[in-house]
Amino acid sequence: MSFEWPWQYNFPPFFTLQPNADTRQKQLAAWCSLALSYCRHQKLYTLDVMEAQESPVFNNKKIERKLSMETIQVVFEELRKKGNLEWLDKNKSRCLVMWRRPEEWGKLIYQWVSNNGMTNSVFTLYELSNGDDTEGEEFHCLEEWMLLRSLQALQTQGKAEIITIDDGKGVKFF
Amino acid sequence: MGNLFGKKKQTRVTEHDKAILQLKQQRDKLRQYQKRLNLHLDKERLLAKQLLKEGKKDKALLLLKKKRYQDQLLDKTENQISNLERMVQDLEFAQIERKVIDGLKVGNECLKKMHEVMSVEEVERIMDETQDAIEYQRQIDEMLTGSLSQEDEDAVLAELEAITQADVELPEVPSDELPEAPEARKEKPERERERPRKKAEREVLAV
Repeated sequence: MSFEWPWQYNFPPFFTLQPNADTRQKQLAAWCSLALSYCRHQKLYTLDVMEAQESPVFNNKKIERKLSMETIQVVFEELRKKGNLEWLDKNKSRCLVMWRRPEEWGKLIYQWVSNNGMTNSVFTLYELSNGDDTEGEEFHCLEEWMLLRSLQALQTQGKAEIITIDDGKGVKFF
Repeated sequence: MGNLFGKKKQTRVTEHDKAILQLKQQRDKLRQYQKRLNLHLDKERLLAKQLLKEGKKDKALLLLKKKRYQDQLLDKTENQISNLERMVQDLEFAQIERKVIDGLKVGNECLKKMHEVMSVEEVERIMDETQDAIEYQRQIDEMLTGSLSQEDEDAVLAELEAITQADVELPEVPSDELPEAPEARKEKPERERERPRKKAEREVLAV
């Protein structure tokens, strides 16, 4: 399944931040949705701003246009405001992307658990994200931090509890 | 808040859960080890092939020996994993069994309490009283129906008398003869006579 680019992607002005406030707003919104859907398609959970500039999302080789560093920062900042992105360091060079919110991931995981009649049992995080049983599930290969957050979301709902034993974490579903 | 949270955690995650988690963690580690070994084996197989192509038979042989050893290791890990998994399943099943026993205990206690409420003497007394009441009711019924039945009988007899009196006159026998079936012709008057009697009977029944 190849990624479907929006029409704007082949539209050169899309790669320059527009001065008009209205247009700019629309442009940023389009960039946000493009970046999120690209990450979703590629299953990316962490982004590096330097690398992002070279990735096909922000660099359209066909029309020889790429988004400048500053604009990428603006787009990322916009995503952060929406709650889809979190900076990993103060320099804002690496970030976490959440194209699905922790609650949504939690819901997916919990659905799988209850569909398989595995409530009331204990899992290791590795088992959930890399185990044979979850092969083919959407949360297979989910990065650990994301998994942990979704489990925390489930924990606040009282559907799960995270267990920490010295060298590793596990979770029990209810 | 933290204290509250800690308390909640204590209530819901048991020692069993922790034990299971530890076992599972161990299993995960073995799985990872297995993956690594598998990758290694594939690489070495390729390398051995290449060495053979290059004519370095001794080295290839050495490599294969190493590979064989790792194969054995892989088997051992497989066994260990299955051991761990069996242990986990046993633990989980023991937990389920404990829950079943708990359930049975609660049910048993409940049943005991119910039995305390209903003692055998009490039931006997109630049953006796019910029997007495039924007997009493039957007597009343008998008395009532007995007094009525005599009158009823008289009325029925009188009505029967009246009906039989009225039906003595028979309807006329049809005069024209039927050409076919001579036996049927003979039977016909008989049936004609029978009919009024039946009618009378029916009316008696209806009363």
